[in-house]
Formats: sequence, C-alpha cells, structure tokens
Amino acid sequence: MTVPRFDELIHSPTRLAIVALLAASEWADFSYIRDTVELSDSALSKQLTTLEQAGYAEIRKGFIGKRPRTSARLTAQGRAAFEQHVAALQQIVVRSGATILPAG
Amino acid sequence: MSDDVSPAEAAQALADIQLRQQQVIDLAMIPAWYWWAVGALMVVLAIGVDSHSPGVIGLTVSVFVLGILAATGWVVGRAFRHAQIRNGLIDGRGVVAILGFVALIVAGTIGLAFWLRAAGAGHPATLACVAGGLVMGAGGPVLMRRLRAIMLGNRTGAAL
Repeated sequence: MTVPRFDELIHSPTRLAIVALLAASEWADFSYIRDTVELSDSALSKQLTTLEQAGYAEIRKGFIGKRPRTSARLTAQGRAAFEQHVAALQQIVVRSGATILPAG
Repeated sequence: MSDDVSPAEAAQALADIQLRQQQVIDLAMIPAWYWWAVGALMVVLAIGVDSHSPGVIGLTVSVFVLGILAATGWVVGRAFRHAQIRNGLIDGRGVVAILGFVALIVAGTIGLAFWLRAAGAGHPATLACVAGGLVMGAGGPVLMRRLRAIMLGNRTGAAL
C-alpha cells in the first residue's frame, strides 16, 4: 500500500513529465527524453541535475563506439517518491469526487 | 502544498503521467511488419528444407539468418536508442501470453508439417510454414495489443 505524499519537486510540470517517462523505463536515453518532453539540451540537463541532487535520478554517461551517450533512470528513492506523489494526486481527485457527487 | 492543488489540476497531472508512460510503452511495441517478415523468412527456410538441395538449403538458411538479424537488430536497436521498458510492467500474464504464442507457432507448424508429410502432401515444410507464417503475421499484433494492455494496467497510477 503506497502512502500518499505530495512531492513539490516532482509536481513541476516539466519534471513530472520526465519522471513519468523514467517511471515506465529501466532507463531512457537523454535524446529520447529531450525530444519527447520537448526541451532543449540545457533545460533537460538542468532538470535531470535537480532530480539527481534530490536522489531521485541517476545519470549515466558512456560511449557507443566514439559517440557519447547519456541516459537516465529513476533511483529506488525516486520511484517511491513518484508512486507516493501519484497516490497523493489520486487522493485529491477521489476526495473531490466524493464531495461533488450529488447527494442521494 | 497539496492543499493548493485543485482536483482539476491533479486530474490533469494524472492524465499527463498516463500519456508519458503510454509513450514509453508504445515504444516497446514491435511493429506489425516484423511479424510478417519473420513469417516470410520461415517460409523461405522451409523452401530450402523441402528442396533437399544443399545449395538451395545454404542459400535459404543464409537469407533466413541475415533477415532475422536485420529485422531483430532494427527492433532491438530502436529500443536501445530510446528507452528500455521497465521489467515490472510485464507480469506473469505477459510471460504466459508470449510463451503461449511461441508454443502455438512452433507446435502448430511442426505438427502440421509432420501431418502433411504423413498424408503424402508435397512440400510439407513449406505448406506448414506458410500456415505458421500467416499465424505469426496476424497473431503478432494481437500479442502486442495484449502485452500493451497488461503493461498499461501495471503502470504507476493505473488503479484510478
């Protein structure tokens, strides 16, 4: 059972998109994230660094042949925080549904 | 902070999360052409087997191996360049679906080939692989839809 916990760091729309992509992946390529979320290289680097500093993401740099390759993945801590954040969002929606449903 | 988030905003965030996760899952889907290509390559291989000619067998085996390597390399390479799907998204039901599909193709094709040979039909391997290839081409996309549904059901936040 996931305990709902709203996470301000994840809730930023751009970071939410990045974390949601990473949550469905074992790892994702930098260029794939950049193109899918429609960010510049520098903007994505900044967001990934923020997630990395929070302990939510891990960034790997390597080479395929001579070409540099950067990929990212969620850490266990990041995955747990994301699941708790999703649970918190669901809780907000469910609670509102309970109050806005017509009586009787 | 969560008190400041309206239900509409939370619902929108959940929809965005669903969309992003769906994008990764869709990336893992093997395209329909792959299944038809593998089915066609099975037929090519069977033509070689039925020919009983070492030269034809060598040629068809080469076409089969190179074709499988090229098609599979394209599919794997595409995933490798983008993202690797999270292992936990495919659960036991997915594994059963994949193994069931493989068993259907292998057992069906081999069984049909032996039955055709016993019945005295000409080119039993080719005929059986045509049938197996058709099942592969038509069934591959069905398998993908099944796996996609399983993965969407297992993604974070799917319960709502």
